[in-house]
Amino acid sequence: MTTETTVVGKSLPLIDGYEKVTGKLKYAGDLPALQRMHHAKVLRSPYAHARIKHLDTGRAEALDGVSAVLTYRDPIIGTKRTCGQVWTDPSFNFRGPLISDEVCFVGDEVAAVSAVDEDTAKEALRLIDVDFEELPAVFDMEEAMKPGAPRVRPWGKNYLDSSLFAWGDIEQGFKKADYIIENRTTMGNQQHAPLDRNACIAHWDSEQHLTIWTSTQALFWLRDAICEFFELSPRQVRVHSTPTGGSFGLWWANNFMFIARALARKARRPVRFSLTRDEVQTTVKRRERPITDIRLGVKKDGTLVAQSHRHLLDNGAYGNKFDPYQSVADLYTTEHGRTEFIGVSTNLLTAGCMRGVGDLTLAFAIEQAIDLAAEKVNMDPVEFRLKNVWKTGDILHTSQEVVFAKLMFNKEPEIRLTSSGMHECLRKGAELIGWKDKWKGWNEPSAVDGSRRRGVGCALSTHISGLPFFGYNGIVIKVNSDGTMALTTGIGRMGQGGDTTQAMVAAEVLGVKLEDINVIDGDSEVCPHTMVTYGSNGMHMVARATRAAAEDAKRQILDLAADALEANAEDLEIRDRRIFVKGSPDTGIGLKELMSKPIYEYLASPEIIGRASQGVDFTKSGKMMIADFCEAEVDTRTCQVKIVKFVAVHDSGTIVNPAVCENQVAGGMYQSLGFCFTEHLVFDDETGAILNPNFMDYKLVGPMDMPDPIIHFVQVYDQDGPFGAKGIGEGVTCAVPAAVAAAVRNAIGVWINPPITPDKVMAALHRG
Amino acid sequence: MKAITLNINGEKCRVQARPHWSLAYTIREKVGLTGTKTGCEMGTCGSCTVLLDGQPIFSCLKMAVDAEGHEITTIEGLEKDGKLHPLQQAFIEDHGMQCGFCTPGMIVAGRALLDENPRPSEQQVREAIAGHLCRCGTYARIVRSILHAAEMSQNR
Amino acid sequence: MEYYSPTDLKEAYALLGRYGASAIPVAGSTFFMGHREELFDEVEAVVDIKRLGLSYLRLEGGRLKIGATTTLAGIQKSELTARGVFRIFADTVSELNIKEVRNMATIGGEVCIAGEVDMPTTLLAYDADIVIGSSKGTRVLSMQKFHRGYLNNALETGEIVIEVQVPQPRNGTGGGFGKFERTAADLPIVNACVRMALGKNGVADEVAIAVGAATAAGVPVRVAAAEKAVTGKKVDDALIAEAAEAAGAIDCVDDFRASARLRSRWVRCAVEDAMKKAVAHARTGD
Ligand SMILES: Cc1cc2nc3c(=O)[nH]c(=O)nc-3n(C[C@H](O)[C@H](O)[C@H](O)COP(=O)(O)OP(=O)(O)OC[C@H]3O[C@@H](n4cnc5c(N)ncnc54)[C@H](O)[C@@H]3O)c2cc1C
Ligand code: FES
Ligand code: FES
Repeated sequence: MTTETTVVGKSLPLIDGYEKVTGKLKYAGDLPALQRMHHAKVLRSPYAHARIKHLDTGRAEALDGVSAVLTYRDPIIGTKRTCGQVWTDPSFNFRGPLISDEVCFVGDEVAAVSAVDEDTAKEALRLIDVDFEELPAVFDMEEAMKPGAPRVRPWGKNYLDSSLFAWGDIEQGFKKADYIIENRTTMGNQQHAPLDRNACIAHWDSEQHLTIWTSTQALFWLRDAICEFFELSPRQVRVHSTPTGGSFGLWWANNFMFIARALARKARRPVRFSLTRDEVQTTVKRRERPITDIRLGVKKDGTLVAQSHRHLLDNGAYGNKFDPYQSVADLYTTEHGRTEFIGVSTNLLTAGCMRGVGDLTLAFAIEQAIDLAAEKVNMDPVEFRLKNVWKTGDILHTSQEVVFAKLMFNKEPEIRLTSSGMHECLRKGAELIGWKDKWKGWNEPSAVDGSRRRGVGCALSTHISGLPFFGYNGIVIKVNSDGTMALTTGIGRMGQGGDTTQAMVAAEVLGVKLEDINVIDGDSEVCPHTMVTYGSNGMHMVARATRAAAEDAKRQILDLAADALEANAEDLEIRDRRIFVKGSPDTGIGLKELMSKPIYEYLASPEIIGRASQGVDFTKSGKMMIADFCEAEVDTRTCQVKIVKFVAVHDSGTIVNPAVCENQVAGGMYQSLGFCFTEHLVFDDETGAILNPNFMDYKLVGPMDMPDPIIHFVQVYDQDGPFGAKGIGEGVTCAVPAAVAAAVRNAIGVWINPPITPDKVMAALHRG
Repeated sequence: MKAITLNINGEKCRVQARPHWSLAYTIREKVGLTGTKTGCEMGTCGSCTVLLDGQPIFSCLKMAVDAEGHEITTIEGLEKDGKLHPLQQAFIEDHGMQCGFCTPGMIVAGRALLDENPRPSEQQVREAIAGHLCRCGTYARIVRSILHAAEMSQNR
Repeated sequence: MEYYSPTDLKEAYALLGRYGASAIPVAGSTFFMGHREELFDEVEAVVDIKRLGLSYLRLEGGRLKIGATTTLAGIQKSELTARGVFRIFADTVSELNIKEVRNMATIGGEVCIAGEVDMPTTLLAYDADIVIGSSKGTRVLSMQKFHRGYLNNALETGEIVIEVQVPQPRNGTGGGFGKFERTAADLPIVNACVRMALGKNGVADEVAIAVGAATAAGVPVRVAAAEKAVTGKKVDDALIAEAAEAAGAIDCVDDFRASARLRSRWVRCAVEDAMKKAVAHARTGD
């Protein structure tokens, strides 16, 4: 079902485009100094695991211009209260205790200083005397899980209880199979690496009231985390979230923001903490590194009958993740299955959600195993997928909604896939890459020219379009006297264009132009509660409330117009800033005229406020579909890999703003291609320190490195998403690594785990 | 501290600076023009690009005290009398941005390119921004925006 | 910390003399500012040497003279490097894809760092001399003798590089540069420069092969074995491969950017690429 639209479906410019191209948009680091504001710097641990034996801050405190030095000795409320709890603690990758006498990774916070300027704060850090007693550290997940392994941090086990999902009878399932495929994969350590470095300003405007300014995608999470951690009421905390200069999961509630808050308290003045590039890269978090074991049972005719997955995730020092967004685990529908996720701690930089979390790492493992299965039965990988991949209506065994229904209500609902254009995505992608000509069969590269060998690969993935249990979405739309509007939302702004596309949904419903709507965001006091902006929820979930609020406003407008036009509200329509009688467009009134016209009873003109605050029915959360195709060229002489062509086909339902969505898909591709080749945080084997803490050695792909993707949207209308839309922002990264590895495999006959470095290519091709 | 006068977008700005302060830091923190971004402070991202006598440089690698006597153009200097530069117009129309953090640097680099070569090829555009990162991965549309701006400028 | 921007050499030398080891000369500042956190602690005086009139390229007495503070962009845009025997200098600069850095970084800075940079490799292949100045006068050192390691060179306290001189290669000389890096905007992981004079019948009369960024010391080295393999012989693909193989035998550094084994492979590839380009250049002379 589709409807005529005038705004939805158009590549309208971003509503904050002007601010961005003129440099006027303020990220947190751009905010003007407050009166009396001081600047923070943090002393960090050189050890992966150590206890502070001796700490003397006397000389630092005595330095002119220093206002506060914060250490584990400070009575900071809340410290350990939230540490043991998972999930109910919204900021589940913060440090635990704000600062403690036990440091658990290189870069961990030892002490924090605020001073009149950054130079002075840096100087103060040098004046702090500290001695450590080194403690045994563990860097390897499997080592950390062994009995007797060194304890990673002062609380909890080294690994979390596994989350386990099982359906059918797995042993029976494997018995029915003609072949069993077993495979293990791993990947490297990716850093979110947003271009902005972020900053946080904390200001106690009274003893009882704290205001925070920072760039975050999680306005209400941050507020709630601060409230919970420091035992404050939402009444006492106001968070201003500025747009982020890229986030990708990095800027939620982070320890550096808490430190700014504690320093401001102690210094009794506003404190700004700006991170350095090194700090962004090495002290906040990174993507979880996986080790995944997959087992597939397949019949001779290519039918998958059973699957089991065991996904270990490296949480680093303070990560708390035990189940990634289990969408991909259901990607192939089998009668029998088992999926297990285990979060493991190590004395490395904390890991946490990054764009495509879980579904990227698990898709990499599953898709490779799927290729192995297809090879085993000698089927074309595209055909094999077409035969086995899920369909609309299939049961989702591993959906997080099931987990939470169980956790919160002890119920086990059956959840089914609401819509899927996956088959169409696969077919379209195969056509766009030229699969028919390029796929020459297993162990047959698609082309060979001297030392250069080309191969093609495909991979699928899926991802959630939001998770209902992240709460209600509230939207308020105020209609001004001239018919323009202000839409208030707590949606995060991190380049995904969420403010623009929410306004587009409202404009569509209200029959106005996009430029008629101002979006007010980023203020926890002013904005109604909105889900943390992650998990690709903006369009599929938040916009349901936006649509409802717009409909609420529309109803009121039509009622008013009905009086003015002496007509029935049901007979009226609103379009092009005008309300008119359906079928006779000449009988109508302009929105501006209507809104500025006094009403006789009140001797005043009206104001209309449309609003909605609502949860999302958890049986109605859609998933996006992704089919990526890659053509890669490996030079066996130089061992370098070049991406020749990349095709990304997505079913994200209706595409509300094609340009925004294309940028999302392209961005996901570049990030994941980076992950495939050059983006890899390197930890020193001996010390656990990161050897490439900046862009000189952590190499993001630039404008000269990769081809532009070929992008296609298969727009399967989703009945529950506003105007048929599903999510897009995170899934865009998920299938890329698997498609790339498959293309490389097709070119040279060897599977290589990312990062696919020239060194690994060389090791695979040239022995000795 | 050394008193210096910076000529930024045609305006003389007197500030105190320390030798190790970069031009980028000084423009942002002391002059208050925050359109120039500083993603890396070591020459690896391009977000701090400004023009020095018309030539693009990374302002994080320039000492502020060494920038006296030069004409400095920042992103704030591109909009004239409330009218956007064609590059700015094109970036808006063509979605040459996502989070917008790399945008000022990209536009300033684009301006240097178009001043020198009003009708660049796609390859030349890519070369002009080769030292710029866009973590949001907007390269395709950034390139398109610069090419479009070249066209717009020609037709004016 | 003080900042000085002297306008003549004498003044600069006096300042460097006065502050001794706690002074640092700064040219393009692209390296200095990128590493200011580590550097500014030890430094009392920054002596900016950009206003000493050391920004020029000229051909004089059979030598190409490049002032120490000439920017890489300046080298690239010069008439003298547009074609002919000195084109390799423009080619080398274009291996650094970042325009903004080319606009700032100077040849003197490249020479002094010598580690993961491109220009010193070319200078070594072209038998360049480094002119060093101080209040005591000037002295000239060959590129070979100038380098001791990464950021470690023959400069004494109070001395600066004021000029780089390249002897004009004989006619029929071609130059080629090869580079391996991780992304297009990267420091070299390995580079190589080949200077080759092709005589009659395609015989290599004179060959110089330098390899940079590959060894533990970081500074470029000449590969005599590879040079010997080619000199006096008729150049064809097989001979090029042989020379490349010989170059690959140098001791390469092993780090997280690339293993020693990969670097050694890339040395072979870079030498091969550079040599092919040099041959092509020698043939056209353009
Ligand atoms: C992101 C990035 C990528 C780069 N990629 C490459 C690349 O691929 N290839 C390449 O070749 N280069 C590359 N460079 C440039 C290179 O790394 C150095 O930054 C540059 O060569 C330094 O030149 P400068 O004039 O700016 O030196 P400065 O920063 O001014 O000085 C560098 C050092 O040399 C000393 N010094 C400078 N000039 C003199 C002199 N005349 N006498 C005595 N001492 C002196 C200084 O004291 C200082 O210790 C890159 C730079 C960056 C930032
Ligand atoms: S901040 Fe200057 S290049 Fe990154
Ligand atoms: S738009 Fe976000 S970094 Fe380019």
